[in-house]
Amino acid sequence: MKPDLSVEVGSLRLRGPVLAASGTFGYGTEVPLLERRALAGVVSKGIFLRPREGTPPPRIVETPGGMLNAIGLQGPGVEVLISDYAPKWAAWDFPVLVNINGESANEYGELAARLDGVPGVAGFEINISCPNVEQGGLYFGNDPRAAAAVTEAVRRRTKLPVWVKLTPMVGDIGVIARAVEGAGADALCAINTFVGMSIDLSSYRPRLSFRTGGLSGPAIRPLAVHLAHQAARAVRIPVIGIGGIARAEDALEFLVAGCAAVQVGTATFVNPKAIEEVHDGIAAHLQAKGFGSLADLPRYLPRD
Amino acid sequence: MFLVDAPVTGRRQVARGMFVLGFHAPEIANSVRAGQFVNIGWTPGPLLRRPFSVYRAEDSHIEVVLKAVGVGTEQLLAMQIGHRVSCLGPLGRGFEMTGSGVVLVSGGLGVAPMPLAVRDARAAGMEVTWVHGARTAADLCAEADGDRVIWATDDGSQGFHGTAVVAAPDADLVLACGPNPMLAAAAERWPHAQVAVETYMGCGTGVCLGCAVPLHRGGYDRACTEGPVYRAGDVDWSALPSHLHYAVGA
Repeated sequence: MKPDLSVEVGSLRLRGPVLAASGTFGYGTEVPLLERRALAGVVSKGIFLRPREGTPPPRIVETPGGMLNAIGLQGPGVEVLISDYAPKWAAWDFPVLVNINGESANEYGELAARLDGVPGVAGFEINISCPNVEQGGLYFGNDPRAAAAVTEAVRRRTKLPVWVKLTPMVGDIGVIARAVEGAGADALCAINTFVGMSIDLSSYRPRLSFRTGGLSGPAIRPLAVHLAHQAARAVRIPVIGIGGIARAEDALEFLVAGCAAVQVGTATFVNPKAIEEVHDGIAAHLQAKGFGSLADLPRYLPRD
Repeated sequence: MFLVDAPVTGRRQVARGMFVLGFHAPEIANSVRAGQFVNIGWTPGPLLRRPFSVYRAEDSHIEVVLKAVGVGTEQLLAMQIGHRVSCLGPLGRGFEMTGSGVVLVSGGLGVAPMPLAVRDARAAGMEVTWVHGARTAADLCAEADGDRVIWATDDGSQGFHGTAVVAAPDADLVLACGPNPMLAAAAERWPHAQVAVETYMGCGTGVCLGCAVPLHRGGYDRACTEGPVYRAGDVDWSALPSHLHYAVGA
């Protein structure tokens, strides 16, 4: 018998544990070849209220076991998302959450209010790794009060699920995790990319035009497993693990470490069928071990 | 678009340091158009796939042309016959063939899309002139082909002394490929030329937005999806990196 892979993340029931991570699956319409049955949900490319051009090239560079990206959240703005993409999502048999971004807590709130009730929008993932323009460009995600303020601003404007995507660039991820839990988050996504830099020795300049970029891919996986585990220990709400997952074994590490579900990101760039392979591999693992459902998978989650 | 487990079927040298690699990839061979590309990955290898214009396609085989410019291309060139790679394609928008004649202008590795362009142009009944340039005679790809072939070298060691762009005759339809500074020069002379650009690339399928091409109208689009073929005059060449080298430390 096939094991039951369904999971509950807050009020959202998902048919499986594997979602597509923001920025690696476009608006859900772009990735070819993947069998959608394996997809538990999609987190959209990050969106702002207004259109954004993005950063000049070079935007990506490969590093050992990973890649740095500085795309600059290029996107068409929320109105195009509502007119061109949400109607498609409304017809799909898995939820699409919108990754929302802003320069102030108020902008995040406005974005949530604009999208709340739009058919096809199943919830929100707040990207708190944005600079807070009102506070001299400090990142929301580095400061528990700013992270909580953004979460609250969104929470007040919607009853849909609100997930908060945590940055790894903090001293104690548990502090931020508890702050956004207290502000009304339904789940946490851990983690976003690490900030990195690579230098070109022919020009003696950074390889990325933006100077720095977000590091993703297998290179960050052990760091991400640890941080997702730390976040899961700190809170009672579900944690969705992200960071360098390319195979089922990688996803199972996050699940055992205390995550309720996972997101697959950079691996999709390399292998359009990565999500399907991770999903099927988790099912095969459970079956081989004689577990009837994902809930039977042993977890390692000593509480703080 | 197909994802094909493709064995290496052959390798030959076509210029100094320049090689053609063949793969058995029937689905791609049967559907690829000139100017389209494949994104190739292998294990063990670099994390990201590597994009290559399809050089030739016939009888279930495709060919790509490359030089060893980094760890990835070195690994590809060292592969034995029968070694399997994962080949994703055909990707991108290719050249549009219109009119009764075409001038192909290629510099160095910019030969990459041209044999297919010759095939597609001949199939459309067009007369083909191919102008191929390189630094020296030894760097010229020996396989340039057409009703008329014009050679150009920077040092004058073979054919025209100067660049392929200067050596080329005018034509209603010009297709060009080569280093970005060469394409910028082509854009000055023929704003309507169709040019195949090279960029850093991640997924090759339109998702990662890594292969941004700056446009004069403002903003960027994706070399992998809207490109890699552009109207030369539409690209903001000053904002496109002029040289590419994959930075793999692995």
